[in-house]
Amino acid sequence: MLHDEQKMETFSYDDAIVRKFVLATMVWAGVAFLVGLIAALQLADWRFNFNLPWLTFGRLRPLHTNAAIFAFGGNAIFAGMYYSTQRLLKTRMASDAMSRFHFWGWQAIIVSAALTLPFGITIGKEYAELEWPIALAINIVWVVFGVNFFKTIAQRRERHLYVAIWFYIATIITVALLHVVNTIQIPVSLWKSYPIYAGVQDALVQWWYGHNAVAFFLTTPFLGLMYYFLPKAADKPVYSYRLSIIHFWALVFIYIWAGPHHLLYTALPEWAQTLGMIFSIMLWAPSWGGMVNGLLTLRGAWHRVGKEPVLKFFVAGLTFYGMATLEGPLLAIKSVSSLAHYTDWIIAHVHGGTLGWNGFITFGMIYWLVPRLWKTKLYSESLANVHFWTGFTGIIIYMISMWSAGITQGLMWRAVDSTGRLMYPDFIETVLRIAPLYWVRAAGGALYLVSFLIMAYNITKTIASAPKNVKADVFQAPRLAPSSNQNLGDKPHRILEGLPIVFTVLTLLAVAVGTVIEFVPTLWATDYVNTGSSIKPYTGLQLHGRDLYVREGCYLCHSQMIRPILSETLRYGDYSRAEESMYDRPFQWGSKRTGPDLARVGGKYPDLWHFRHMMNPRDVVNGSLMPSYPWIFRDKIDFAVIPKKIAVMKFLGTPYNEQELALAEATARAEAQAVAASLSAQGATGKLEDKEIVALIAYLQRLGQDYKKGGVK
Amino acid sequence: MTDTDKKIEGHAYDGIEELDNGLPSWWINGFYLTILFAGLYFGYYMLGSGPALVDEYNTSRETHEQAIATKKSARPVASEEQLAASLKDPGKVKLGASVYASKCIACHGDRGQGGIGPNLTDEYWIHGGNLTQIMKTVSEGVLDKGMPPWGAVLTADELPAVVAFVNSLIGTKPTAAKAPQGVRAKE
Repeated sequence: MLHDEQKMETFSYDDAIVRKFVLATMVWAGVAFLVGLIAALQLADWRFNFNLPWLTFGRLRPLHTNAAIFAFGGNAIFAGMYYSTQRLLKTRMASDAMSRFHFWGWQAIIVSAALTLPFGITIGKEYAELEWPIALAINIVWVVFGVNFFKTIAQRRERHLYVAIWFYIATIITVALLHVVNTIQIPVSLWKSYPIYAGVQDALVQWWYGHNAVAFFLTTPFLGLMYYFLPKAADKPVYSYRLSIIHFWALVFIYIWAGPHHLLYTALPEWAQTLGMIFSIMLWAPSWGGMVNGLLTLRGAWHRVGKEPVLKFFVAGLTFYGMATLEGPLLAIKSVSSLAHYTDWIIAHVHGGTLGWNGFITFGMIYWLVPRLWKTKLYSESLANVHFWTGFTGIIIYMISMWSAGITQGLMWRAVDSTGRLMYPDFIETVLRIAPLYWVRAAGGALYLVSFLIMAYNITKTIASAPKNVKADVFQAPRLAPSSNQNLGDKPHRILEGLPIVFTVLTLLAVAVGTVIEFVPTLWATDYVNTGSSIKPYTGLQLHGRDLYVREGCYLCHSQMIRPILSETLRYGDYSRAEESMYDRPFQWGSKRTGPDLARVGGKYPDLWHFRHMMNPRDVVNGSLMPSYPWIFRDKIDFAVIPKKIAVMKFLGTPYNEQELALAEATARAEAQAVAASLSAQGATGKLEDKEIVALIAYLQRLGQDYKKGGVK
Repeated sequence: MTDTDKKIEGHAYDGIEELDNGLPSWWINGFYLTILFAGLYFGYYMLGSGPALVDEYNTSRETHEQAIATKKSARPVASEEQLAASLKDPGKVKLGASVYASKCIACHGDRGQGGIGPNLTDEYWIHGGNLTQIMKTVSEGVLDKGMPPWGAVLTADELPAVVAFVNSLIGTKPTAAKAPQGVRAKE
């Protein structure tokens, strides 16, 4: 039996693909951070929008989040995964061609995101903005990546899968599931589609996706990277194998349930909100399991942390992870959410996670990888230390400013005096109070960008000093003998680690349980949406105006979800009901109130108010931070597309009749004439009946109107 | 928790070894505690008698409305005479001017000349030109025409003050004024 095991095979690793992903990580990091800084400046002073459509906050913010998560974060995890997977499995990737397809496909997706989002081509759901052709391309590239990865596992020369690989498996299958389910949509045209889910269902699916994008794109793969690169860099054994097992399974099982904590106090059925909250609380220990196992692995190496930048980045990264995963469960408690939701506290929270955890783990990994990949020495250790401290200071400034802004504004929103009157009834008062903190935040972000530029210089110099034409190292390992359960081990989990297919199926089951229990009742039961209400579908013009609202990213600063909280209903009107968004594809409940809620804005102001407000918000709201939208006063309504939109909505179940469909274009034109006439009567000038502003006003004036008419039972 | 720090045999991946340490007791007990909390919370609010968020809201809304009603009955609506008296109080007019500058300018113009909303400087009124009528318009709004209700926004001092200031604008004849709307007030 021994002679078979002893048969040595010679192989090398595909490090060219790792080098590619490392370079892509560096390039997209620069883009993501720069766009983030511009967006931060736009919130500090509206003039940074430059009155240019493609540079306006509502279009730039999705570019920032997508670039940070999928371009910077994505390339970083791929770099680390390709490097570590090959070594942990003692085999080259199954197919170099598939690896290259993955690399170039992913970069093409990022470039197409950068070419569509600034032009307002968006689905309008956070972190899932990319329109259907790109969404489809993501699915294809991801599947190729997955096939290549699992084929690599199949040809491994290491019997058991190490914990890093477990996390990679969870990442690959869950991200595929999340993305495919959340982006099922029906195209209206090449660059416009509507999701098959509407209103409350769309909200549930979206935040199941959105939350678990954080879980399975920004957490599990990075934990996998941590489990490889931290013990390698520290040259220490992993603290506890048992802790790895327990926290891995607990994390994968529990994370998927937590999505509804993004929807506390909304029109989502309360049992689902409660599940979201309690599973978030149970998530604290499993999350900390990773941090604890990482930090305790450094026992005996702490004296090196002060000197070695790689370890310094890992320690700080893990600490930020610990902070974010303690803060997350805290924010998921309903009463805390009632204060923090819609405020900058959430912005502080996510940036602690991304800048601190994802950023610093990536930087530490790249400082460790580059000298090895290019077979040279790091150009400057001291510059890496400068990078660390500058970046660290930037994060601290960022987080403190946004915590202060969020808590201040949250308290101002809810302040009611003894006479029962809101103490700050004008929303703008609460904005102006925190506006200086937006400058502080921008300064923190700028510092982080500068720290990254120091790194970019350091890495460039390092690579420049590398010898040319590095030959790949050659390794030898015996081929694996055919496995039987006997030689896999004596403990159940040890046996499981030798059975990748069973392991993968169990992981899929772990994420499927929470998904099914939360989805099924909401997707198939009509109990939660009162269909006998007065809520009617949008007219063609309103629907078109709604798409403009989505195009301009209004939902990134304005919610349409009034929570059942006294200070909120005093400010905005009665709380929102599920049926009010039953025809909304996508739902536009929002997650942030940089400006006020708009769920009941219809009829609150005259048409002319909106007209002047969109032209220059400061004409009607002194001190407003909102961008101006001069182009919607120039650009014409595409009336011809309206019947197609109505047809897709009808196909998806919105009750338009045949006549409404047949007359859609003419009806929309007549409607536009009426709005234009009303605007002219109030004093607006110019030929307005074919301009986009008219459609947008038609939509804004509709918001909340059906409910006010009082038909909700 | 005592760490044995024993390396597990056969666990070596690209040189990474694993130790046979147990779970830190504070960690696993913390985990159990959150599970216990989750169970109790779910039991009380979902299966037991715990109030729903909407129930809690309705309670707070009722308390609020009772408080408002008590306050309202304690403070009678200002009469025409009382409002007329505040016209002569320069302090009131000054307060009214600052309220006007922050809340009314957007629609009625910086000098009351009108814009989105009607001209306030002429003698024509759409919803009545008596002081009590102006007070009612300011306080309850005219939702159909886009005039928001300011009663819940302005304080008890600010409401009559802004009426006094608006009254002081009549006859100022600003440039670029909007054409008169409504009916002429009887002098």
